[in-house]
Amino acid sequence: MKNERKFDARPKVIGTHKFVDDYHYDGMIYGALIYSKVHHGKIRKITYPNDFKLSEFTIVKLEDIPGKILIPEPETDQPFFADKEVFFYGQIILAVAHPNKNILNNFVKKIKIEYEELSAITDIKETLDNKENTFGKQIIIDHRRNVKVEKNWLKTHSVYYTPHQEQAYLETQAMIAKYDEQNEEMFILGTMQCPFFVKEAVETILGDKIKSVQVETSEGIGGGFGGKEDFPNLLAGITALLSFKSKLPVKIVLDRSDDITITTKRHPARIEVETYTDPQTNKIRKMNVDYRLDAGFYQTLSPVVLSRGVLHASGGYNIEDVYIHGRLIRSNTPPNGAFRGFGAPQAFFAIESHIEKIASELKIESYQFRKINIFRKGDEFPSTQKISEDNLFDCFESIVEKSDYLTKYEKYKKFNQTHKDKLGIGLAIGYHGGGYTGNGEKVLDSEIKIKIDKKAIVTIYISNVDMGQGAHTTLAQLFSETIDHPFELTNVHIPNTKICPNSGPTVASRTIYIVGNMVSDLARKIKKDFGFDNLKNFVKQNKQIFPKEFSAKYKPDPNISFDENTYQGTGYKDYSWAACAVELYYHADTYQIELLNCWSMLDIGHVVNPKIAVGQAEGGVLQALAYGSSEFFYKKGFGRMHGFTDYTLPTTMDIPKLFIDFIHTDNEIAKGLGEVPMDYPAPAVRNAFFNATGIFIDEIPLIPETIFHAMKKEKKL
Amino acid sequence: MKISFTLNNKKVSIDTEPTKRLLDVLREDFKMMEVKESCGEGECGACTVLLDDKPVTSCLLNIIHVEGKKVFTSEGLSKKFLGKLLIDCFDETNAVQCGFCFPGFLVTSYHYLKTDGEANLEKIKVALSGNICRCTGYQKIFESVMLACLRNDSTGGKS
Ligand code: FES
Ligand code: FES
Repeated sequence: MKNERKFDARPKVIGTHKFVDDYHYDGMIYGALIYSKVHHGKIRKITYPNDFKLSEFTIVKLEDIPGKILIPEPETDQPFFADKEVFFYGQIILAVAHPNKNILNNFVKKIKIEYEELSAITDIKETLDNKENTFGKQIIIDHRRNVKVEKNWLKTHSVYYTPHQEQAYLETQAMIAKYDEQNEEMFILGTMQCPFFVKEAVETILGDKIKSVQVETSEGIGGGFGGKEDFPNLLAGITALLSFKSKLPVKIVLDRSDDITITTKRHPARIEVETYTDPQTNKIRKMNVDYRLDAGFYQTLSPVVLSRGVLHASGGYNIEDVYIHGRLIRSNTPPNGAFRGFGAPQAFFAIESHIEKIASELKIESYQFRKINIFRKGDEFPSTQKISEDNLFDCFESIVEKSDYLTKYEKYKKFNQTHKDKLGIGLAIGYHGGGYTGNGEKVLDSEIKIKIDKKAIVTIYISNVDMGQGAHTTLAQLFSETIDHPFELTNVHIPNTKICPNSGPTVASRTIYIVGNMVSDLARKIKKDFGFDNLKNFVKQNKQIFPKEFSAKYKPDPNISFDENTYQGTGYKDYSWAACAVELYYHADTYQIELLNCWSMLDIGHVVNPKIAVGQAEGGVLQALAYGSSEFFYKKGFGRMHGFTDYTLPTTMDIPKLFIDFIHTDNEIAKGLGEVPMDYPAPAVRNAFFNATGIFIDEIPLIPETIFHAMKKEKKL
Repeated sequence: MKISFTLNNKKVSIDTEPTKRLLDVLREDFKMMEVKESCGEGECGACTVLLDDKPVTSCLLNIIHVEGKKVFTSEGLSKKFLGKLLIDCFDETNAVQCGFCFPGFLVTSYHYLKTDGEANLEKIKVALSGNICRCTGYQKIFESVMLACLRNDSTGGKS
């Protein structure tokens, strides 16, 4: 537990750290994407403006693809370009490149595309409500245990909705492709989370026209949060095609408005929960969950989000009889993709809201109710995986104490009786499985490499990126701490598919949890194999051995298994646990909530670098609070949001005090941290509002409109 | 049209369209890559520079308005006492995440230190309210600026 400083902090503050748009290559030209401005339609005619020299432009469309037209994804169903029909606002139809940015922009503005518009499904709630829109493979987790529902049991039923959320990384999507005609090689440089996915996409679109593809990330990656997991595949494919055709280096940097319109977002969800609770014991005995995600028009990676979603869908409670049905819904909107939390924030919003509903119907305090039902050691998930620790319970108890929940709850109850404005405090719990779901890590088969040179300088080679989470500093620190080697002598190489082995994508909270633990294991093995005490001295005395490379592969635990058909078994080997309390003030005249405080208690196991960990958790918590309280996206159709003026992000003036704490840090394993802070704060906001006003809200964000409608529904207006 | 101004203490001039954005002039003509574009509409502050000692979003400013004025970018400020102090503080707290917003934060915090500099959280929040950071949750940025204010105080405001 040391607070080593980040490698890249100083150049980033000064601004000399390079992001994609800061790179230049000789002869480089600029590219732009032309996309559909209707939700569904047949393309009738494309007209290029006639006051430009068409021969100066490189234009690529579907028919220019020499390789395969579908982008490689867990579900390979999205083409790089639309063909004759477009299925969503934002679907790319063609791409253009030109040496001069201004000429390019003017040309692009004047391209006219005529459509025959067709009917489209774009209203989010209507789409999700209609089972007819289901597509793709459905997932069922059947943990029914023939529990007989008694007459006096309380049935609680509700439907919860969550909206799109924009990742809003500050560096927009950007890619450079540089074709080397002589060697038939394509070099890609970009802002991305998964260099090997990008490589595969470029190989796919160019097929056998190319001998090799090399992908490197830019020095800096200006935020990802999941948004740079799969969209870069599409963008790199198209940029490469432009470079291949023009035989020149091509750079595409999306402007904010294009980025917000065409890239992936968090999946909107509709989650229906039905529970049966025994009022004698206050135990939930039976639960049915219908979990639906709006995938957009293509499935792409939605099946994987769905699988994580259903595995988190019953929340942190021990229920004997559970049935979970997960499905994807199709709409005429861009495919939704990865976003921190990956299906879990939607699930926890529903469950944590529902718990409040049951408690209020039972007329007991929700704190007590949670305490009775929360996971304890020996309980089991609907997948039958056993809970091996009491850490969720510990997080919960400690957050109740830290936030002084019980005192405040009573105090605010009294305050609210005599005041028009209200005060509220609310709780929520959450957890996140580390790494890929089920057998995913086995299939990924990650590999790492470590090089030690003659001066005992250590370089770690991996394909995981540092997009701000501090992963590279933390990985170097893990190596350096494990065998007590100076941190200053430990580096991480910039991810490059030709130089670094494939240690898997930078997703699923796996970089430290999977790759980091591989780094520690390999460090230990190097030390043991050579039998040294001090690496630096050893290198000095044995110069002839160095430079030397070491590598290791991921070793799956042979004792765990997961059945991909029945969803029974070990969903995730380790879970990060969390609990939270949110305190807010409700301004009755304006229907506005003001967040005052948010406490989080997290169990992520070993905390390698506390300052980095706290910072990352704070960022995740704020994104989640905004998801619950302010970030507002399309309700109907796409294309009406243009940037940060209408998609408003929290500023320094809109945020509560954030308190982050870690528990059980004596664990040897460093577990996942990236996503868990996103999972629980949104329902805590909702629950604080519920405790403040007694008004039941079944959707986020809690903006004045949502509150106003809920009050109208409950006839409190 | 010829426009002359001072850029990071150096006199410069350029022949360009008067409506070209200051952001583009800095990035394209002067290769000052530290000035970042994120939203392009004055909302995020990633492109902030000092214009005659006041923070402005360079994506909203046409170069014609810069004639005869003084411009400082984050890199220019990083060489000054307060700039160095701030960088040390951002580094020490591990505040920096993706870093895309930070050159803008450096410029705005520099201006706060220079013009007020009180270690007062509410004031710091107001001063930084034009800069968006999507990664950090802002807490460590506040902590860093606070620390810089305290240290600057203890040096007797050497600036
Ligand atoms: S790019 Fe200028 S304010 Fe966002
Ligand atoms: S550090 Fe990424 S936006 Fe601020």
